[in-house]
Amino acid sequence: MRKSGFGLTGALAALALAAAMAGPAAAQDKDTVKVGFIGPLTGGVSANGLGGRNSADLAVKLRNEDAGAKYHYELEVLDDECKPNTGVQAATKLGANPEVIAAATHYCSAVAIATVGTYNRFGLPVVVWGAVLPDITYGNDYKEVHRVNGTMINQNQVAAEFVREQGYETWVIIHDTTDYGKGHDQYFTEAVEGLGGEILGRFGVTADQQDFTAELTQAKSLDPDVIYFGGLTPLGVRIRAQMDKLGLEAQFEGTSGIVSDAFIEGLGPLAEGVIAFREGAPTEKLPGGQFFLEKYNAAGYEQPPEAYGAFAFAAMNLILDAIEEVGPDRELVRDWLNNVQGRDSIVGEITFDDHGQNTVALITKYVAQDGAWTLWEDSEYATGQRKLTGQQ
Amino acid sequence: MSGFESAAAPASKSDAAGARRGPRSLLPGLAAIALGTIYVIALLVVEEQTIIIALLAAGIVAAVAAHWTGMLNPVASSFIDREQVLSGAVVAAVLAITVYFHADHFILLLVTTILLYVLATLGLNLQFGYAGVLNFAGASFFGVGGYTAAVLSTHTGMPHFLVLLTGGVMAAFIGLLVLLPVLRTRGHYAAVVTIAFALLFRTFLEVNDVLGGPQGLAVPGFELFGWSFNRNIDLFGLQLSFYVNYLLMALLLVIGAFVLVRRLERSWIGLNLDAQRLDETAAICFGLEIVRWKTTAFVLGNFLIGLAGALFAMMIGFIAPTNFTFADSLIFVSIVLLGGLGNPWGLVVATAIVVIIPEKLQAIQEYRFLLYAALVMLMLLFRPDGLLPRPVRNYFPGWRPR
Amino acid sequence: MDAGLLAQYVINGLMLGMMYALVAVGFTLFFGVLDVIKFSHGDVLTVGAFMALATYIGLETVGVGAGLPQLILMLAAAILGTALLGALIARYIVMPLRTAPPLNTLLITLMLGTVLRESVRLFYPQGANPKPFPALLPSDSVSFGNFTLRLDNVMMLAAGALVIVAVQLLLNRTKLGLAIRAVAQDEETAKTMGVNFTLIVLITFALGSALAAFAGLMNGLYYNEINFGMGLLLGVIGFSAAIVGGLGSIYGAILGGFLFAALQTVGAIALPFASAYKDVFAFAVVIAIMAWRPTGLIQEKISERV
Repeated sequence: MRKSGFGLTGALAALALAAAMAGPAAAQDKDTVKVGFIGPLTGGVSANGLGGRNSADLAVKLRNEDAGAKYHYELEVLDDECKPNTGVQAATKLGANPEVIAAATHYCSAVAIATVGTYNRFGLPVVVWGAVLPDITYGNDYKEVHRVNGTMINQNQVAAEFVREQGYETWVIIHDTTDYGKGHDQYFTEAVEGLGGEILGRFGVTADQQDFTAELTQAKSLDPDVIYFGGLTPLGVRIRAQMDKLGLEAQFEGTSGIVSDAFIEGLGPLAEGVIAFREGAPTEKLPGGQFFLEKYNAAGYEQPPEAYGAFAFAAMNLILDAIEEVGPDRELVRDWLNNVQGRDSIVGEITFDDHGQNTVALITKYVAQDGAWTLWEDSEYATGQRKLTGQQ
Repeated sequence: MSGFESAAAPASKSDAAGARRGPRSLLPGLAAIALGTIYVIALLVVEEQTIIIALLAAGIVAAVAAHWTGMLNPVASSFIDREQVLSGAVVAAVLAITVYFHADHFILLLVTTILLYVLATLGLNLQFGYAGVLNFAGASFFGVGGYTAAVLSTHTGMPHFLVLLTGGVMAAFIGLLVLLPVLRTRGHYAAVVTIAFALLFRTFLEVNDVLGGPQGLAVPGFELFGWSFNRNIDLFGLQLSFYVNYLLMALLLVIGAFVLVRRLERSWIGLNLDAQRLDETAAICFGLEIVRWKTTAFVLGNFLIGLAGALFAMMIGFIAPTNFTFADSLIFVSIVLLGGLGNPWGLVVATAIVVIIPEKLQAIQEYRFLLYAALVMLMLLFRPDGLLPRPVRNYFPGWRPR
Repeated sequence: MDAGLLAQYVINGLMLGMMYALVAVGFTLFFGVLDVIKFSHGDVLTVGAFMALATYIGLETVGVGAGLPQLILMLAAAILGTALLGALIARYIVMPLRTAPPLNTLLITLMLGTVLRESVRLFYPQGANPKPFPALLPSDSVSFGNFTLRLDNVMMLAAGALVIVAVQLLLNRTKLGLAIRAVAQDEETAKTMGVNFTLIVLITFALGSALAAFAGLMNGLYYNEINFGMGLLLGVIGFSAAIVGGLGSIYGAILGGFLFAALQTVGAIALPFASAYKDVFAFAVVIAIMAWRPTGLIQEKISERV
């Protein structure tokens, strides 16, 4: 309710609200505090966004059920559509609303990097739960921005080591032209060339491109061992499918962007044997993973938590802890978050460095096997029962 | 020459009518403006969805009732007669709204967006409504202005006011390039060209790293003589949101553009534009240079659009290709059509509707493109003149069509 | 560049050209008959593709056999559905506005296109996401070095060519075609000659829309994916192709379609950033052609000179 002090309309509105609140008024002894969540709820990566939203919602629900909590929390959810400008709009909306104290934000790196300035401008402390571009935390000195999940630097280092170990020598890189794709291109190239791999060519494609026959035909003529793809699921699905149409036989290697059920659903049998990498352990293997999954399933959400749901849960809990300790004040919450050291959470211990980045050392290797993303170590590829493309 | 005679007769009567034009003729207009302002404030204040729906329904009912009972006619007349005073009253209303919401960032952002969209659609109106040139790339030229502002203010030390003007000039220039090949051809070719431009502008931006690519560009805030627009204002202890800066600037631009467009419409340039829009063949027979007038209108219109885009970019602080898609261009077109082709006041009403309602009625946010398109279709089928149709041209001061 | 690579590009170009030509022929039909630019044509294509997909999903759940029977049923459903849609559009949206300035018809069909597009996005389950389209044609291929020729591409090319030839035959050798051409030439005289104007218009629109559905289905089979925005660019390209070829001429439309595809392919090969700029390049050339020959490569039948 804004500006209800003025005039008749204000009185009317106040009356209406009071009437609406009359019912559940019994539980409303505590003050209500608003927290925010932004993620891609529509569009090609909506599965991740919705999983993240449900997880954040779960955190808020559990906290509201806790009688010992000082405040009653209300989650304001906004959609960034995985587009930078929509994200900025959503960020402006949350930031401009003085009632929102803090927010868990963004899965898409392209959006997260665009909004950091907005959060700083409005002084809204945020915790990123899914975007992996390093620049989001390292590219600026904004005290408001924090992140619980890891960055892509580590991911690509491990990826490069792994694929060189498998004996691959030559790559063609296809990446989307957002900062996310470009970041992957940059870090993977550095990593794999440092280990003696050769990049035969690279192609930048737009994030919603339909037709890759031109790029893939050229790539085919270069004859690489591996096609490395830096981008998100929708593009990954198309590229892999069109590779098959053009008879391009190379190993398909992807990043955290394609570790989703939607990728496998989109490709069916063509997904078999695709490898990808992600920061953090799969949800079941996290320290608090079982607890989280139990509660999530009990709450009956329509969509699964997907790869980053646990991080969204942890991010929201961190915010709620901050508000519980220092009260609903943006600056105090921001300072509290900046001082987080060795704090326990379901994703392990969280420590924010001087740029608000949490160090997540573990990188998980996945391979798509029989219609599901399987841990490399647990797969039949590791034991040699099945072979990746191009391997003897 | 009977036409002249009958025109001459009312001319003398108009003096009598002029004598009758006392403060009474102002009343309906002022009353309408006051009511409108209160309604807008109420709509912006309320957050509870059910109340909003009730308010909207009440508004629609009131508007339709007023139309049926003929209560809108005195309002229309007073606007025609006393436009200058009433325009001033509208400006005062906007300022009143600003004062009311002085610290509320988001609402002020909304109001400023409306003002900037009005500026842009004034330009489109010049192209469509007066000159009959189809421009389906409104949002793209808006984007040209925005990107110009972004690049110039980040990389050069150009004073920001000049940056705004350059944004307008760039949009005008690129518009010229786009239009030139098809000026001599029939209407629908120009339509294709602008549609193609609209679709490709986005693709072009996305592959262009110089212009930020799909990631977009951060735009520094506006600065006028050292006063940064991104700082909250402290006035006599009252905290004003920094958006007030942008709002006042936008208001100034809109007033300027409005006066310009009105003057143009009433001048011989406006006459020429109307003539060649209504019947190109006849106009050519009378010696009008079609190409020259179409170009003038298009270029001028684009200038306004680019100007609006430049300020918009600096206000939002960030632009990306997906801000300026074909669908957004179609929204601009919808505003022009809904408001009433050729009527600047219609634009104000239509823009307010198009911007405020999806923000307040969260439920329809998703559906807004669908709704606008459907509304325009209904409009075209049943009331092609729009909400506020353009009044018949006033050839003689004080003359009213019988 | 070696012959195999070149051949690959040529085949890709032919496929695209076929799809554009189909859409362009639709535009030409509408323009010829009612002097109307129906901007919603591309989005009717999208609706057709989604109808086919929905039919497929329906058939799968019911358990009807795979491959060819499914394809035939999908085609039938899409064609019938879009034909009906086209006729409705003609009857209730385009014809009432015949007396209004042409600007209005243009605008209303543009808006209609948006309505169709948004409806698919909002009302089809998960409509905003790209949808995988089943690969129902045999996918065997033959490889000559760098060049892979797939059976399904050949089949689609052949089918497209057949359809275009069929339309030509329909227009030139049948009574219905005669009636359509009569109406296109002169409405009043055709009516005097006993042609049922309204019926012919409805049939023409139905025919054009069915062509769009066929193109949409082809698109789906080729890319194995459809999304709600696919019709927009295809519609504009088809329209440009029709214009370049000369509005009102079927041969021109076909020529325009293949020309556009050729431009895109050349652009993809010759320009440094492959796919990205090819659309821009192709449109730039089209605009240049329009500036040079405003009424198209094959001249429009009417001309105005003052």
